[in-house]
Amino acid sequence: MEQIRVFFKKSATYQLLQILAEQFEDFITTLGEIAQRGLKTLMCILTGQINWKEVIEQSSRFGVSSLPITISIVSMTSIIVAMQVAGEMVKQGGGNYVGLLVAMLTVRETGIIMSGFAIISMIGSSLASEIATMKVTEQIDAISVLGVDPVRYLFVPRVIAGTLMMPPVLIIASTFGILGGGVASTAVSELSYKAYFTSVWSGLFIYDIKVALAKAFVYGCTIALISCTCGYMAKGGAKGVGIATTKAVVWSFVAIVIWDLIFSVAFFF
Amino acid sequence: MIKVEHLIKKFDEKIVLNDISFEVKDGETLAIVGFSGSGKSTILKIICGLLEEDLGKITTTEGDVAMVFQYSALFDSLNVHDNIIFALQERKELRKKYTTEDLDNIVKEKLKLVGLEGIENKFPSELSGGMQKRVSFARAIVTNPKTILYDEPTAGLDPISSTLIEDYIVRLKEETHASSIVVTHQMSTIERTADKVLMLYNGKCVFKGTPKEMCEAGNEYTKQFVTASLTGPMKMLAE
Ligand SMILES: Nc1ncnc2c1ncn2[C@@H]1O[C@H](COP(=O)(O)OP(=O)(O)OP(=O)(O)O)[C@@H](O)[C@H]1O
Ligand SMILES: [Mg+2]
Repeated sequence: MEQIRVFFKKSATYQLLQILAEQFEDFITTLGEIAQRGLKTLMCILTGQINWKEVIEQSSRFGVSSLPITISIVSMTSIIVAMQVAGEMVKQGGGNYVGLLVAMLTVRETGIIMSGFAIISMIGSSLASEIATMKVTEQIDAISVLGVDPVRYLFVPRVIAGTLMMPPVLIIASTFGILGGGVASTAVSELSYKAYFTSVWSGLFIYDIKVALAKAFVYGCTIALISCTCGYMAKGGAKGVGIATTKAVVWSFVAIVIWDLIFSVAFFF
Repeated sequence: MIKVEHLIKKFDEKIVLNDISFEVKDGETLAIVGFSGSGKSTILKIICGLLEEDLGKITTTEGDVAMVFQYSALFDSLNVHDNIIFALQERKELRKKYTTEDLDNIVKEKLKLVGLEGIENKFPSELSGGMQKRVSFARAIVTNPKTILYDEPTAGLDPISSTLIEDYIVRLKEETHASSIVVTHQMSTIERTADKVLMLYNGKCVFKGTPKEMCEAGNEYTKQFVTASLTGPMKMLAE
């Protein structure tokens, strides 16, 4: 019996199961941590424990420093879509719908999801590595010993900044996206700017914009919270910081795709 | 007062602290010595609440517990000025007590104490290791704590800065009557600051007494430590 156990423990099946179990445990722990920190952050916000100076600093990081990348990614996406479809649509007599298509696509989907991806790769990763570094160099321990709650000091301003800055970023990036789509469509086809923008107007619905803004709030909050939590959970040295950053990026990506699915089902189905 | 009774701490299956008890009265300083990895930092972290004990009881006088970290742990996004007044600015009950001017004066005064005037606007990355240590010392004592834990406060300092810090540890103790624990490897620090010494080996306490007894008494462990000898009851553990 003993021999069988030893043998089994060496087998690939066992090791595979073990890795799966560890991964699952890690998944559940992370989920729990996110929920716990999220609740605590919410409590701090509700009881007004907010350092506005820090919020402004983080907001500029979230909203201003990320703008060039966000704008480029969102407008590139619109330009690519416009270039792919404009010529063909005009040929098939659908020239009046190019603007509508680009506007609808940008407002409903590509604007927010591409801004989300840009923010994750720029801001989310930097939040996570910043907090993870503080964790592994005992700076977070120092915060606690000095009698300050690390969640209040680190999470609250970042989560507020993420939540508040995502909508403006989205609006600016989407505007550029639609403009970019116009430039591309007129460049590759006979379409005039006037025709494009008339059609854009018919594709913009207040309802869509409202949903997009709601998404922006939720995604911004999610990205900031996940990135901070993953950083906070870092262990070990430089390697731990790397692992935490990767985890923050992967989790944020998956989370906003899941949110996107939920929003699509809830509002457009 | 710091009172530790029958403290046991495990990391996974490894017992790091095995039934440690000691008491530090008000206005007293205890030095903890022992091999690297013998759990000295762990004791301090348990006392200041960063780690949870597995078994045992810890009592400290009411009031702040301050800690000087082994690797300084300065906030690298803040300059020296903001590092030092961090607690005064971020703690709700303290924030309203001080004007900007007060804070500036406090920073000046504390920096003078540790011999580093005029570096308020520097960032931790621009300081040497020893300077960082002294700034972290200034940061820890800014709230007038009743319990002060020093994790190797003089490691990596030149002898003169060490003496400066040691003198200050003594002065602070006399002025505020705080109880403190100093983790150190240096005999000079023990001799200058400590009233009592506790020696750890293999998770157990192998010596408790005054610095004088440490040098004189016929304890094999302390004899080995004081003479820095390779032969004796303590062996470097190969894990
Ligand atoms: N978070 C942790 N997880 C697992 N093991 C740990 C952890 N922290 C410390 N240990 C282990 O506990 C033991 C004691 O560590 P500690 O840092 O207290 O040593 P130390 O006496 O302060 O050493 P040094 O003189 O090098 O600072 C070490 O063997 C270390 O491996
Ligand atoms: Mg240590």
